[in-house]
This record gives sequence, C-alpha cells and structure tokens, in this order.
Amino acid sequence: MMYYQLLGPEITVAVLGLLVLAGSLLLPSHGKNALGYLTTIGLAAVLLAVILNFSREAIFFAGVYQIDMYANFFRLLFLSAALLIMLMSSRYTGLFGERKSEWFSFMLFATLGMMIMVAAGDLIMVYVGLELMTISFYILTAYLLNDRWSAEAGLKYLLIGAMSSAVLLFGMSLIYACSGSTVFTEIYQALLAGSERPALLAGIVMMMAGLGFKISVVPFHMWTPDIYQGAPTPVTAYLAVASKAAGFAVLVRILLIAFPPTSLDWKLILAVLAALTIIIGNLTALPQTNVKRMLAYSSIAQAGYILVGLVAANTYGLKGVLFYAMTYVFANVAAFAVTAVVEVAEGNAELESFNGLGRRAPMPAAVMTICLLSLAGIPPMAGFAGKLYLFSGAIQGGYLWLAFIGLLMSMISVYYYLHVAKAMYIGISSREDRVLLPVPVRIALWICLLGTILMGVYPGPLSELTELAVQLFSAV
Amino acid sequence: MSDHAALGVFLILTLVFPVAAMAAAWLFRVKSAPTREKLLPYECGVDPKGSGWMRFRVNYFLYALVFLVFDIETIFLYPWAVKFQSLGLFAFVEMIVFIAILALGLWYAWKEGALQWY
Repeated sequence: MMYYQLLGPEITVAVLGLLVLAGSLLLPSHGKNALGYLTTIGLAAVLLAVILNFSREAIFFAGVYQIDMYANFFRLLFLSAALLIMLMSSRYTGLFGERKSEWFSFMLFATLGMMIMVAAGDLIMVYVGLELMTISFYILTAYLLNDRWSAEAGLKYLLIGAMSSAVLLFGMSLIYACSGSTVFTEIYQALLAGSERPALLAGIVMMMAGLGFKISVVPFHMWTPDIYQGAPTPVTAYLAVASKAAGFAVLVRILLIAFPPTSLDWKLILAVLAALTIIIGNLTALPQTNVKRMLAYSSIAQAGYILVGLVAANTYGLKGVLFYAMTYVFANVAAFAVTAVVEVAEGNAELESFNGLGRRAPMPAAVMTICLLSLAGIPPMAGFAGKLYLFSGAIQGGYLWLAFIGLLMSMISVYYYLHVAKAMYIGISSREDRVLLPVPVRIALWICLLGTILMGVYPGPLSELTELAVQLFSAV
Repeated sequence: MSDHAALGVFLILTLVFPVAAMAAAWLFRVKSAPTREKLLPYECGVDPKGSGWMRFRVNYFLYALVFLVFDIETIFLYPWAVKFQSLGLFAFVEMIVFIAILALGLWYAWKEGALQWY
C-alpha cells in the first residue's frame, strides 16, 4: 500500500497556496501581513516534516512519482530557500502594493512545482512540475506592475521560456517514440536492447537544450541577465537559487537513470558546455556595474561549476553538485538580501548605491562580503568545500582540463566579487544615515551567514547527507 | 517502415496543399494592374474613414482567458464522465478536488473584476 503521508509536503504546500489565494480575496487590506506570516509558518512546518521523514522512500503510481533521499534533499533545499526568501522580502513586498498577498501564493505554487519536478519518475511528471514552476515565475518576474524593466523581464522570460519548453517537450516526445515509455527506468531497459538511433540522439539533445535553458548554460543563457535585473529582487534570488537547483536535479536524474554514461556518452558535450559556461559567465561579469546583473552573470558561471560535477558523474562529482547547490542557496540569498535592502533604500541596485555601506550598515556589508567570497571559493567559506568536491570529482573522472579552467576562472571571479566589497568599504557616499533593517531580514542574513561559515568549516554533516542522497545513482 | 512513409507523405501533402490552392487562385485571377481603389482595405463596402489602428477593449482578452481555462477543464471532464462507473470513489474525489481548485480560480477572477464588461 502506498504511504500517502509521504506526499503530505506537496499536498500541504498546494493547500496552503490555495488558502493564501482565498485569503487574499477575503481579508481586508491590512490582513496581507497575516498571509505572509501564514506562508512562512506553513513553509517551516513542511520543512520540519521533510526533515523528520528524510530517509523514508516510496515509489508511487508505478514509477511515475518517486520520493527518495535524492528528492528529499532537494525538497529540503527548496523549502529552506523559500523560507529564507520569505524572511528577506519582508520590506520589499511593500513595493507590490495591492497585489502583495497573491505574491505569497505564487511563491508557494513555484515551490510546489519544484518539489514535483524533483520527485518525478517520468518525463510527463517532470514537464508538469517544470511548467507549474515556470509559469509561476513568469508571473512573479513581472510583479512590479508599474516598472517597465519588470514588465520587460516578464515578457522576455515568457517568450524565451515558452520556446524552450516547446523544444524540451519535443525532445521528450522523440525519446518516448524511440523507447516506448516515459518512465526513466523503463527507458533505460528499452534502450539496453536497441541500438542508437538518430531520433533518440536528437531527442536527448533537444531535452538537454530545454533543461539547459533552466540552468542557464552557455548557448541558452541570454535570458538570464535581463530577467535577473528586471525582476523584483526576492524573485531573482529564488529564481537564481531554486529554479537552477531544480533544473540540475532533473537533469542529473534523467541523464543518470535513463541514459547512464555506460549506455550513451554525453560527457564530452556537457564538458564543453560547462567550460564555455564558466569562461563566458565569468568574463562577462567583469565589466558589470549593476550588482543584480553582475550576480546574474556570476550565477551563469556557478551553473558551469555545478555542471562540471555532473560531467564527472562519480560519487565526488555528484556529491559536489548537491553540496554546492545547498551552499549556493545560503550565499546567494544573502547577497540578494543585501541588494534588496540597498534597492529599497536607494532606489536602484547600481554599484554606486553600495558606496559607504560598510559605515551605514555594518552587519549587511560584512555578510555580503563573506557570502561573495563564498561564491568565489575562498577557503573558510562553504563555496570552497563545494568547489573542492566538484573539481576533485572532475580530476578523478579524468577531466583535468575542465578542473583547470574552473580553477582559473574562479581566481578571475574574485575580482568582480571584490568590486562590491570595495564599494562598500572604500567608496564614499554623500549620505551618512544608517540603513535600518527589519527584523526578518536580519534573521535571514544571520541564518545565511551561519550556514555559509559552518558548512565551510564543518562540511561533514552536509557531506553525509549528500552521500545518502546520491546512493540512488550508485545502484544503477 | 510504412508508418514513416505515411508520415512522409503527410508532410509532402501539407507542404503542397497551400501552394496548390494559392497557385490555382493565381491562375484564375484577372491579372490587371492594382489601382488605388483596389488596394483599399475592405470595410463592408463603404469608403474607409480614419486610421485603421483602434484601441480595443481588454475585456475580450480576459473573457477569452477565463473561457480557455474552463474549456480545458471540460475536456478533462468528458473522459472521466464516460468511465465514471468503473473508476470508483477515488476518481470521484480526485475530480471534485480538481473542480474545486478551478472554482477557486473562477471566484478569484470574478471578485477581481475580470468578468465585468464595461
């Protein structure tokens, strides 16, 4: 008998989203904050439920929906990212005006889409979760209704996203045509027997293109800067962190279960894409003057690093993918949280707005510096541990040139991350007043800071968690 | 192999058919030079007045959106209704949940004034 209580998190998030939507219609305008609190408490409760049931696994509906430790790891990631975003957006949501309460329900639906995507056991379920997440993000990106940059970002995301979803779906249908089933394990069985056909290769390439859009690897990355810059900063943070992690989770699951490297060799093409992504992401981030745009290009480069772990496809590499995705959450959310504070205080997120922040708001400036150094991969922080796993895996897998490119570009990336630190501590601004932070933002910044430092200094627990999660692939 | 051949024939027909239609029309057309009156846009026989660009109501679009969602819901309801007897209680409750979610959406659209025609 199926253990439906393991589906409790998804059901709770869905019901919560619908309740918040109903609440936004029923409650008067000063009830909007209540919906924010309800969302945060609900997400915390679901996160607790997932933590308590972490090691329970089940397969539902004949392989279509698979709750295992891999899926549970990513559910943890999405829920903690959503919780941190809820905390850090507490003043920013004032900019949404009348539509503030629906924002919470769209964030919940996006989270639900990601949770479905990651636990999906077949291609259709992946597509359903992907579309739920993506369409929620189309709406969230355009949420600043009177800002033309937000509207432009939303429209661009819709057009490019719809086209890449179409390519993804066409690739999935070609894979279905060649293998006769959409369930990943059955695809693997069907392909063991047959030979490689051009339609299958075309299908896999198209599917990689569609998913590559989500994780913004290089030929499919052009949407990232404009959308990240135009969207409201909490939405950008969620997009950068969780949407990318969801895309990677699905890509890893499909490529390692349905088309393992023993049966089909996709490693070289992904290695080339990873190298291009790392190089182009880092080089285009160098001249940026808008901090959100710089963080967008840096997130393209980070996607390249994570892809290196997938290319290696050994235990170290896959542990690195999961470990880095988790540390990336904390570092990136903190960076975007400080950017949101500056954006609310100054009106824009240009580098000049960060001038003198070291004096005006010492704690956020320190957190920003530490988290940017974590993204760059400097030792006591968590980013270093993640990159250690990723590049060790690559070297063990024989991709020495890829690890070398990654390391070289990591060194270069320190420059543009320290640009922001330089502006904050050495830059001179005309304003001398303190920037006050609301309490939830402070809590979010402290959590991110502690997470980044603790996971860097003591990576053991998270490393064991990722080891449990990637056991799924060692059995194949 | 014959499936692929059928697909190929279908593809060729799809490409040939519009070309053939338009070629036939060109064959039977009167070929005289276009004058200014012939190139005017059609407006029920009277002379067009003013600019062709007009602001149209967004209500059309909102109604079309809401209609589309409920049309797709109806499409999902038909197979369920056909196999209702053999599917049991589980499918019944599942469909009630589906309709409830869409009803919530309809309530939202109603309350926010998307269905108001002005």
